[in-house]
Amino acid sequence: MDPATAPWWIWPLALFALTYLLGIVAVVAGIGGGVLFVPLVGSFFPFHLDFVRGAGLLLALAGTLAAAPLLLRARLANLRLVLPLALAGSIASLFGAVVGLALPTDVVQIALGATVMAVAFLLWRTDPAGQLATESDALGEILRLKGEYHDPAVHMDIDWRTHRTIAGLAAFAGIGFFGGVFGLGAGFANVPALNVLMGAPLKVAVGSSGLVISIINSPAAWVYINRGAVLPLIVVPSILGIMLGARVGARLLRTMPASVVRRVVIVAMLLAGIRALLRGLDVWI
Amino acid sequence: MDLDHETYARWLDRMVRVAFVLTTAAFAVYFFGVLPAYVPLDTLPSLWRLPLAQYLERSGAPVGWAWLPLAGRADYLNLAAVALFALMTLVCYLRVIPLLPRLQMAFALAQVLVLLAAMSGLV
Repeated sequence: MDPATAPWWIWPLALFALTYLLGIVAVVAGIGGGVLFVPLVGSFFPFHLDFVRGAGLLLALAGTLAAAPLLLRARLANLRLVLPLALAGSIASLFGAVVGLALPTDVVQIALGATVMAVAFLLWRTDPAGQLATESDALGEILRLKGEYHDPAVHMDIDWRTHRTIAGLAAFAGIGFFGGVFGLGAGFANVPALNVLMGAPLKVAVGSSGLVISIINSPAAWVYINRGAVLPLIVVPSILGIMLGARVGARLLRTMPASVVRRVVIVAMLLAGIRALLRGLDVWI
Repeated sequence: MDLDHETYARWLDRMVRVAFVLTTAAFAVYFFGVLPAYVPLDTLPSLWRLPLAQYLERSGAPVGWAWLPLAGRADYLNLAAVALFALMTLVCYLRVIPLLPRLQMAFALAQVLVLLAAMSGLV
C-alpha cells in the first residue's frame, strides 16, 4: 500500500500494534522502547522524524512511569541513587532536545542510524554481569548511594553500594544529551553506566535505569510539547500500545528465553539503523 | 521501605492509572470524531510528513501554552492527556521533597527548577 494514499486511520492502528509488540520485547530484553520505536517508525512510517522523536520520548516516559512504582516497591529502583544522576541527565537532555529540533533532518537521520547500529553492536558485545562495587567513593558516601534489596533467586537480602560517582554523573549527562537529541529513553546506556561504571548490581541498575528515564525524559518532553512537535495521533496510540504490551512482557519475563529476544532486538536495531543511515544519506528514501 | 520511596511509588501509581484511563477515553473521542479536531484528521497525512516548522506554518497549530484554550478540540484534548504524563515527575518530586534528607532535598529542588524551566518554554 502506498503510504501517501493510505487512509489516516491505518497509521494509529499500525502504531498501536507495533508498540504493543515493542512493549513486550522491551521488557523481556531489558531495553527502553524508544531505541526501537524511533528508528523503526522514523524509517518505515510516513511521519517526519521531528514528530517521531517527540513520540519516542513520550513513549519511553509513559512506559517507565508505569513500571517505576513496582520497581521502587521491590527496592530495585533507588530514589537516592537516581536523584543526582537524573538531575545531570535532565539538564543535558533539555539541551539535547533543543539541539535535536534545530539540526537538519538528514544530519539527525545519519547520526541516529550510526548510534542505533553502535548500540546494537554494544548489546551484542557487552557482558551483562558487570563488576560490583565493594566500597563507596567519597562522594558516593556523602550522597549515601547505597541500599539493599531482596533477591528471591538466592533467598537473600543483598547490600549494595556504588563508586566512581563523578564519572557516573558525567556519563548520565552524556546519555541525557543524546536521549534528548534522538528522542530515546537510552536505557541501553543507563544500565551499563550504573552496573559496569558505578558498580551497582545488575537488578538495581535495570530498575534504577527505568526510574532515571522517567525523570530525565520529563523536561525533554516539555520541550517537544512547547514547540508543537507532539502529534497526538502518533503519540497516544503508541503510549497505550507500549503500556499494555509492557504488562504482557512483565508476565512473559519468567518464561520467554531472553537470549532469543536479545538476538531479535539486535537484528531489528541493525535493520532500522541501516535504513535511517541510508535515508539520511539520500540513498533510500 | 523508606517513606520517600513508598510515597513516590504510591502517588505515581495512582497518577499513571488515572492518566491511562483519561488518555484512552480522549483518544476514543478523537479517533471516532466525537469532537471536532483543530487540524482535521483527513488533512493530517499531508502535513505529518513535513518538518516541524513547515507543519506549524501550514496547519496554524499553536506553540508554547497557546494550545491550552483549544483543549475542547479533540486533538488538543489528547495533548492535554499526554501532558499529564510529562507532569507526573514534578508532582511526585513536590510530594516527596519534605521527606528527603537535606542533601537529596537540594537535588530534588534543583530538578523541580529544571522541570519548571522546561514547562515554561524558557528553554
